[in-house]
This record gives sequence, structure tokens and C-alpha cells, in this order.
Amino acid sequence: MAWNLTPRPLHEPLKLQAQRSQKEMSHQSYPHHDPIKEPHSVSVKVLRLSQPSLVTQHPIDPPFSPPNTKSQPAPASLAYAPSSTNPDPFLLSPILNLPVSFGSAYVGETFSCTLCANNDLPPDAAKRIRDVRIEAEMKTPGLGGTQKLELGPANNHEGAAAGGGGVDLEPGGTLQRIVGFDLKEEGNHVLAVTVSYYEATETSGRTRTFRKLYQFICKASLIVRTKVSGLDANTSSSGTRKWILEAQLENCSEDVMQLEKVVLDVEDGLGYHDCNWASDGDQKPVLHPGEIEQVCFLVHEKGADSGVRMTPDGRIIFGVLGIGWRGEMGCRGYLSTGKLGARIPVR
Amino acid sequence: MSEQTQDQGHRRNKASITRATRPRSSTKGPLDADNGLLTSPTTSTPQLSPSLQPSPAFASQARHATPSPAPQLGEARPKDFSFLLQPEIYHPLNVQNVPPAFRNSPKQPTSETPLEELLAKGHFRAAAIAAAQELTGSTVNGSPVDPQDATRIFRLLYTRLACLTLIDATSLAAQEAKALEDLNDARRYIDDNTGEHLVPWELRVLHVRLQALGFGDARRAVMSYHDLAREARDRIRRASLTHDNSARELWKSRLHELGIKVAGALIEMDDLSGAAHHLGSLRDRGDGKLALSKALLWLHLGDTANAKACASQCSETMENVERIILALCDMADSNYEEALQKWQEFDSSITDEMIGVNQAVCLIYLGRIQEGRTILEKLVDSGLSSHTLLFNLSTIYELCSERNRILKGRLAERVANLEESPFGWEKTNADFKL
Repeated sequence: MAWNLTPRPLHEPLKLQAQRSQKEMSHQSYPHHDPIKEPHSVSVKVLRLSQPSLVTQHPIDPPFSPPNTKSQPAPASLAYAPSSTNPDPFLLSPILNLPVSFGSAYVGETFSCTLCANNDLPPDAAKRIRDVRIEAEMKTPGLGGTQKLELGPANNHEGAAAGGGGVDLEPGGTLQRIVGFDLKEEGNHVLAVTVSYYEATETSGRTRTFRKLYQFICKASLIVRTKVSGLDANTSSSGTRKWILEAQLENCSEDVMQLEKVVLDVEDGLGYHDCNWASDGDQKPVLHPGEIEQVCFLVHEKGADSGVRMTPDGRIIFGVLGIGWRGEMGCRGYLSTGKLGARIPVR
Repeated sequence: MSEQTQDQGHRRNKASITRATRPRSSTKGPLDADNGLLTSPTTSTPQLSPSLQPSPAFASQARHATPSPAPQLGEARPKDFSFLLQPEIYHPLNVQNVPPAFRNSPKQPTSETPLEELLAKGHFRAAAIAAAQELTGSTVNGSPVDPQDATRIFRLLYTRLACLTLIDATSLAAQEAKALEDLNDARRYIDDNTGEHLVPWELRVLHVRLQALGFGDARRAVMSYHDLAREARDRIRRASLTHDNSARELWKSRLHELGIKVAGALIEMDDLSGAAHHLGSLRDRGDGKLALSKALLWLHLGDTANAKACASQCSETMENVERIILALCDMADSNYEEALQKWQEFDSSITDEMIGVNQAVCLIYLGRIQEGRTILEKLVDSGLSSHTLLFNLSTIYELCSERNRILKGRLAERVANLEESPFGWEKTNADFKL
């Protein structure tokens, strides 16, 4: 029996460089909101907040140390100032680096990004910057179009009301906001950031606005293929029907992932038995790029007349398969398939 | 006796090996040997990939080779290392990636500054240059190197390569290390009289990583560390026989270090499950480092449940290790408030650069970038300057101003004014994202 690509055929794979620098998240300025030619007093900066990473180190013996003694590692070869908290000579250290590059964005992950609006005026400037506001929306490739994003943190310590009120910024001051967005579609995404502020001089003032667009491509992380086969042998004995639902999960991202859970959300009248790692306490499978894990469920009717749903064209619907995984430093991903089903031969 | 046999083994192997382009076949994986120094009693299966499994025929051949006393080499003669003194081996070092704040600083050493002082003050670029100059005899004053003076040559060569790795020029070091070719070549590197390897241990260990990098073959490092581990085991055995306790302890700690380095090499090969399995086979030395290492590896893989399990195994004396692991797990689970609280609880008890930096990273993920910036700036003011501290602070500057180049330049000046120390004084543009 053939494997079905689930839930639907994938788009053409989009090839991207493995590493894009944060700066390369291509952005465009849209000054048309603002007829004034003068440069803006406020700038906006963005950084994708993927998980911070553990810093690696290669501890070595200091040069010119006395022969045939065990010396402390050269301090410069350690990730941070010598301390009992360093597990040297191990490669990984507990100190964390902020994200170095934009990396790749994958379906199933939450895209998190920090937006900073900065008052770039010199300290002695005559202008005052008041009522700074940031708004953000995400344009997705599908029909959904554009979604307004919620800006965190909810309870900002600088006293700024996240619920719409603006913030006054001293020269050199920064308003930081964080947005999160669940990536569900492959293809082009555009994060649009709009900053507005009131620029006050001694005698007058004006409201100014500008908008920046940051474009990135979201790629598929996991390809799911499923197959359903009937278990006829047991049908007669118990009177209830049983099926085997198998799925192949292929890591099509460029990162190592550890599968955390696979769950079936079955329709009413059906039950299932998990035949995978969780059921016998095995280690969670680790998938390198290109690797495939095969999972299996035994689906059964709860009773002979359990009222299992059938489609008009004679397909039985089992339910939805959900797959959760973790990436480097805990980066979370979760995907669920469309409704899985199989055509049942008439008996 | 065992040593003679080893020598024979080396020589016999050599005939079948085309220089250093192919890793030397391993006879027996010493890290999975049975005397329990590294392997816990519960693990019976070897941790190594199939290519490292000892081939029985080969192993027995190596071990039972007739121990004839090396007649084909002629009488013992001092080795000649003039091939390491060729100027074309050593690359010129670029100063373009050093920020002007350091390049033009009065702290820059002169060409007369002795090598030891350069090292002590953390002038590693200057030390790398001085070491190469001394090797190639291009110093103005100072005696030329005798090609037979192994001690001096290898001390200088180690200084050169080590310093290159400390100034972010590891790829250059990997190229230059190729001049050593195969350190297992007994004809070249084993003293005929004493049977001792003429290359100091630290250089042999560093060479493993550089050679793997130079050939773009990470697997080679795993195999070469095992070769060294076999030798360390043999040394432990000999030290035990002669009741030489200090030698025994030295070699035991070297063996342990090799075990940890194998895990690192596996991680660099992206074989994370292999590394986890390997670490699980090593024995903790009671300092909590192994528990922390395992937890970091699980976190790197994204498995916070296993990382937490490592924390729960920590004894009371390793309370700090446990707290570090749990705080990192919170961060991996995106519970930044809880993580921040855990890092803050450390503050009063110990001062640690890592804890300060991680606290600041938490604050950025919580939308409190100004507080994070203040913490990192204070760390710099207190004299700390790790790559991570500078990189994170420079990232904050990039977020906080259109004119971040000025802020980063000022940071470079501030760091250039710090005391010189073995932690390394001169920094590169990359440290400040310049």
C-alpha cells in the first residue's frame, strides 16, 4: 500500500542559505506615511529571538607550563572567566549567547522577535520625543492575509501601558517590545513594524510615523506520510474493527530535532493504542536532517455500533495526528496533520 | 616490554599507511577497555562506531608481534626537526581585524618583550608572532634554534599553535599543524634511547583537533583521542607497577580529559546521541562537572526532561550545579521569569561572569533590555571581557541605537584600557560586531 503525503502535497521546496545574518532579514522602509523629508529622530531595530545558545569552548593547557604536571586550562581558552561553575574540559559551557544569525524559520515553530524603538537624538537636542508607539503585523502567504500581532511584555517595568498608550523617550532611551507568531505556512512572511511618535519643540510639535518591512521565508520542518491498513484477523473475534495507522516523520529542516510526542486525536467512537517510544519508556528519537522516524498506532472501534463517522464516499475518519518536537536549547515545534482517514472496502 | 611491542606496532603500521591523509587504524578502543577507569560497570557495550571496533586479527597481530629491538633503524641518533623551522609554514597574521583601540594602544608590546611576558599579559597575537620568529630564526637578537633541540622546538610550536587558537585564528593553526604530519610516526618522533615520545602531551592533544579541522574530518579526532587514550592507559599501568603515584594520578586525569574530549568531538560531528551515550559511560570525579556536562548536552539537544534528571542526581555539595541546570532548563522552556529569579538568587553567594551574562540574556527575552545592558556594562567595568560578554553587549548596542558603531567603538576603548591578563587582552573586531 502506498504512503500518503499528509495532509496535502507540499509546495516546491524553497532553498535558502542555511545561515542568514540578522541584517539579511531583508527590510524596506516605507516613508510614504510621512511627507516630511527630515530624517527621523526615532529608529527601530529588530532581532529575532530564537533560543539563546550554549557557548562552546576548547580548553587547552597554557603554553610554557611545566612538563608532566596537570595544569589548569589557559584562562583565555575558557568561555568565561575561570570559575568552579565551568565544566571544563567539556566543549559546552553554561554561558549563553544571544542569537548570532536569523537562522531558518520553520513551520510549527513560534517566531519570536524583539522590536526596539530608540530616541537617537543627542542629549542636548532641542526636540523632545513623546508618545512613542510600536505596532506590528504579519503578512502570511496564504489567504489569511495580514494579522495584527500582540506586543509583549504585558506588564512592562518601564511603566508603559502595553494597552495602547505611548511612552516618552529621553535621548538614548529605548522602548522594547516582543512579538510572537506561530508559523503555520510555508513561504514568504513579512513582518511590518510601524512606529509613531510625537516630536515636540519649544513652540510646536508634530506626530510622525514610519513603517519598516522585514521579509523572511518559512520552510517546512517535517514531512508526514501516513498509511492505514485494516486488521481483518481480529474483526470476527471481538466484533469490533481494528486498523494500523503508520506514519513516517521526515525531518526536512537543517537542524537536529528530538521528537517529544506523537499523539492521535481520534474521532468519537474510536480508541487507540500507542506503539511508540512513550509506551515502553524508550529514549525519545533524535532526527538529524533527512532522517525518518516511523511511528505506529493501533486504532480500534470502541464497540460494534460505536457510530464511527464515515464520509459520503465511504471513507472512515480516524482523527488528527499531532507531532511535538524540540530543537537546539529547547526550541519548540508542534504540527498537526489534517484529518486522517481511509477508504473501507465494502464487506 | 610493552613499550617495545608498541614501537614495533607503530613501525609495522606505518608501512601500510600513506602519510597522515588516512587515520591510523586503531587496534583496541581504550575507552571501552574493561578495567573500569572510565567505563561504569553497567555499560558493557562499546561506545564506538563500527569503524573503531577492534579487528581481532589485527589486534592480536599488533600485540603479539615479535619484540625485536628495532635493528632496521640503525643506531640511536638524535632526531632532526629542521622541517619544522621552515619560514613558509608560518602565516603572517592580519592586524586588520584588530580594533584601532587595541592596535594604537600604548599597551601594545614591543618586539623586545620576552615570550613569557607576552603570554602572562595575554598578548597572544604578539606571542604567536614571536614564537614563529624564534622558530624560523628571524629574531634580531636571540640564538637560532638547534634543529635537534626537541624541547625548545615543541615548546615554541605549541605556543604558536595554542596562541593562534586563542585569537580566533584556529583555521590558520590547523594549516600550520599539518607540518607535523603524522605524530604516530615513530621514526620521526620517538626517542630511540628512551622510547619516549618527543612531542609534549599538550601538543599531541591539541594536534588531534587541529588535524581533524585541517583535513575536514571530525571523525579522525575521535579516533586519534582513542589512540592517545590507549597510551595513557598503558602509562597508568606502568605507573601502578612502579608505585609512582603522582605519575599515576597525572595519567588518570589525562585519560579522563580525553574521554571528555571524545564527547566534544562527537558533538562537533553533530552526533549528539552518541555523545550522550559516551558521557553516560564516564565516571564522575565528584566535582559535579560530569553532571553539568551531561545536562548541557541534553539542553543543547532540547531535552529538558533529561537535563532536569541530571540536576536531581546532584549531591548536596553540588548545589550550585543543580541550580545552574534548573535555571538553564527554565530558559529552554521559555520560562524567563523563573529563570531570572534563579540567576538572581545566585548573586549574593558567588560572583560569576556566566551568571551575570545569563541574567542579562533573560532580561532581554523579558523585554527589559536596559537592565540587561546595565548588568553587562558593570561586568565589563569590573574587568571581565569574555567573547560572549562583549558579543551580547554589542548586540544590545545594535538594538538600542542607530549609531551603535559609536557605542561599540567606545566599548572597545573601555576594554583596551583593562589590565592585561592571561585571560587575553587584545580583542578582534568580531568580538564587538564591528
